[in-house]
Amino acid sequence: MNTAVARRTALPFSILVVAAVIFAAPLVVAFLTSLKSPSEITRVIALPNELYFQNYAIAYDRMGRSFLNSIAITVPSVIFSLLVGAISGYPLAYMRGAGGRVVYFFLLTGMLVPFQIVQIPLFFLIRSLGLYDSIPGMWLVHTAYSVPFCTFFMRNFFASVPRSMYEAALIDGCTPAGYFWRLLLPASGSGLAALAIIQSRAIWNDLLFAITLTTSDKATPVTATIAGFASSLQVEYGPLMAATLISLLPVMVTYLLFQKAFVRGLLGGAGK
Amino acid sequence: MPNFQLMRRKFQTAGMTHAIFLSLPITLFAVFYVYPIVSTFNLSLHSWDGFSPTPKYVGLRNYVVLLNQSRFYHAVLNNISWLVFLLLGPTSLGLLLAALLDRGMKGESVFRVVFFLPFTIPAVAVAAIWRWMYEPTSGLLTTILQSVGLGGLAQNWLGDPSIVNFALMGSMLWWTTGFAFLVFFAGLRNIPVEYIEAARIEGATPWQVFWKVSFPLLWPSTIVVLGMAAVDAMRLFDIVWAMTNGGPAYASEVLATQMYDTAFGRFEMGRASAISVYLLVIAGLIIMPYIHQLAKRVQDAEAE
Amino acid sequence: MRNLKWFGVALGVLAGASAARADGPKELWHYYAAGSEKAGIEALIAFANKQNPDNQIVGKVIPGNAVEMRRQLQTAFMGNTPPAAYQSSMAFELKTFVDSGKLHDLSETWAKIKGDEIFPEGVQRVVKVDGKPYGIPYDLSLINNIFYSKAIFEKAGLQPPKDYEGLVAVCDKLRAAGVEPLGNAGGPFWSLYNFYAPLVSTVGTEGYYKIASGELGFDSPEFRKGLELYRDTMVKCYAKNWSGKTWTQTADDVVNGNTGMFMMGAWAAAYFKQAGFAPVEKFDVFPAPGTEGKAIFQMDAFAVPEGPADTLETAEKFVISAASAEGQATFAVPKGSLAPNVTVDPSIYDAVGAKFARQLADASKANAVLPNLFFLLPTKVGTELGVQLEKFAIDPSDANENELISTLESLRQEAQAEGAYLKW
Repeated sequence: MNTAVARRTALPFSILVVAAVIFAAPLVVAFLTSLKSPSEITRVIALPNELYFQNYAIAYDRMGRSFLNSIAITVPSVIFSLLVGAISGYPLAYMRGAGGRVVYFFLLTGMLVPFQIVQIPLFFLIRSLGLYDSIPGMWLVHTAYSVPFCTFFMRNFFASVPRSMYEAALIDGCTPAGYFWRLLLPASGSGLAALAIIQSRAIWNDLLFAITLTTSDKATPVTATIAGFASSLQVEYGPLMAATLISLLPVMVTYLLFQKAFVRGLLGGAGK
Repeated sequence: MPNFQLMRRKFQTAGMTHAIFLSLPITLFAVFYVYPIVSTFNLSLHSWDGFSPTPKYVGLRNYVVLLNQSRFYHAVLNNISWLVFLLLGPTSLGLLLAALLDRGMKGESVFRVVFFLPFTIPAVAVAAIWRWMYEPTSGLLTTILQSVGLGGLAQNWLGDPSIVNFALMGSMLWWTTGFAFLVFFAGLRNIPVEYIEAARIEGATPWQVFWKVSFPLLWPSTIVVLGMAAVDAMRLFDIVWAMTNGGPAYASEVLATQMYDTAFGRFEMGRASAISVYLLVIAGLIIMPYIHQLAKRVQDAEAE
Repeated sequence: MRNLKWFGVALGVLAGASAARADGPKELWHYYAAGSEKAGIEALIAFANKQNPDNQIVGKVIPGNAVEMRRQLQTAFMGNTPPAAYQSSMAFELKTFVDSGKLHDLSETWAKIKGDEIFPEGVQRVVKVDGKPYGIPYDLSLINNIFYSKAIFEKAGLQPPKDYEGLVAVCDKLRAAGVEPLGNAGGPFWSLYNFYAPLVSTVGTEGYYKIASGELGFDSPEFRKGLELYRDTMVKCYAKNWSGKTWTQTADDVVNGNTGMFMMGAWAAAYFKQAGFAPVEKFDVFPAPGTEGKAIFQMDAFAVPEGPADTLETAEKFVISAASAEGQATFAVPKGSLAPNVTVDPSIYDAVGAKFARQLADASKANAVLPNLFFLLPTKVGTELGVQLEKFAIDPSDANENELISTLESLRQEAQAEGAYLKW
């Protein structure tokens, strides 16, 4: 019996190992590079002769403030976008008739708008609100541009919650708003967690809004700093790779924290 | 029956609550989506360098000029090949990895992290890493091919106009498969064990179990993944711009990068806006049926 | 319910933050994000701020290149928040902004720094639009030199070639010795920069300026001859797979002994040095055939947008410091570029830098200082030329040659009809 199981899993396991090696290889190269001195960097796939931690010092030194900005932008933006997604998904999951469908359709069309289109009008908008180069401005923008996807995601999640629960709550004297805040939302932890992972990654990695709408140290996020390492005439690969590795830590931690819930919540009990 | 009256009142207030709830997202949508799009459309009817005080009205000329440029069609075709690739590539690889991992495999959590890790990296960094992977003579990819005796397969990955799109797709596969993998992985976990056990008892092979039982039940996950892939294919910008700028000689250009180059590389804002509008229309034609399908599922949910 | 409160707080913050932004610092925008470039600009800013204690300027990196800079400037001009000064390329890059009335006329500043005396004539003409200066030159690099690895040349018993025949012979010998002859890199600039030498060899200095002013067509026999000279010499010599490399990757190939020569802007010297590849000892340069005694250059200048009086004052004080001999040296040494100011003491340069400085001075005397054609052409013509030339260098087929010529010629005629060309 045991050997049969072993035989059955041997092939898939080896495929997975090969895939994992391929997936990890570029990151290993990145990691090795982050430990090379400038004179060693010309030999890309060789091991570093000695570990050159100064790249991390340079990266940290130059990222410093922008790393904090990224956290200050991402955390509230994720919370707001989840909330807006929830308050927009809730009615759309429960409304009957054509009205809800039209609104839903209308909001979803936002998913196909490339963000490059909006940047100039957006710049004017944010400036006239007095939010140019400010962290609250970034909250607003990230929340607004998350509306279509978060609505889509949360509506689907809510739609999978049995409708009988809603009707029972109303009979018990709950208002529709009360049901949402007191029962539905607290019961949606897994869905919110799954969306939180997707949103953290999207917002943390945004570059377009960052370079269009922020200009000074007080609001510029870490992706703009990384772009600086990467796109000038002379690319400093050592610090660039160090900065990249540092910057993916927060998203990674978020993922590890929420991954259990992610698996449960991603499809909103789609297997019902 | 006082309960019925209470319920009716509740359902009436429900309409009100729904309207209040929806007002915020609709406002945000109108301000941040509708207004910029209208203003882009308006700009596309003008000739403007981006700096001078007065754009000049030219009607539909920008649209007509684009239709006469082979460069424009080339970008449209590239977007379409990206669409096909993103629908098939990361989706099937993600599904394969998820299906293989869905059986209490040793080191499951390690695999899960490794496959997802690339997805968390910013596009500029992905581009910088892959510029090396694809260095044509001493990069990792060429070196590995040579060391296993397949040196003949090594290419001028990013410098050959007929190869560059495939090379970009390769890096995209690495970058985005993690998402598809996770969604499918979650989807498979949501399938009740009893279904699978039942099929096994009836003597189905694992292959049959997957295609006859698991796969049909994965349809909701598949919809999510395919939809996001289609959206990404139309919006595609970062990875192409950061890795090749659309080159060599326009070979890897997609509409979003062409728009960017037209706007800021050549100071033709009106024409760039016209490209945006075309992009929106093409994306609409391709993705609208999908969105329509999603909206229709509201109805289906109600029917339950 | 707690969530609802959070939201209220957030909206409150949003409302509070919408009060107008107070006057920020006076900014200098540039895209020197890394390496020796970054060291150069930081040293210059520190120097200028020390000289002008009451008019401090703050550097800000715009990640990317000239294209990203334009984008950022565009939004800034529309929003009426331009920087005090910014890094600009020359000629048409300045003109676009001058035409829309965004740039401050620097005539007074120019007189104070004696611009007409301290800058070579070829440099002056690309920062002046209609006779008025709009940019202060500070970062000049020659782009008509070929770097070569000394070890490789010695081993193969080679000398730097003097003419195109010699170049092709050197290439053949390098190839026979198992070394890639001439490096190049992908993108719309590098092939174009390499092309200038064969072009100048065929059309001469005068023809070069005639192409720049639109008088000499791309369908002229002279232009075609230049293109074919490029094809039969440099393109033939290019290293395998060059188009898939960035310029630093090709520079790595030279450092690692895989490629013998590399025609690149002077900034490659700074990169070599950083990688421990010492000038004169490990590498040296020679002018590309047909450009001996000439200097083709790429240059950046500081431009000053129109703005409030105190911002203008800060910007002017900054550019005056940056134009001074001391300021120019402060930037040029760490950056590894040349100071356009001819009063700068040439002893500040390393051996290779000194060679470049001499080359520029000699060319200046002979009136053979040629600016990068890319920026002399109307923006859309220059950009298209770069793209088409890369395509031709990758595949120098007759079809691509004809397509290059017809595409550019129709663009030239279109631009001329619009009156877009200018005589620099």
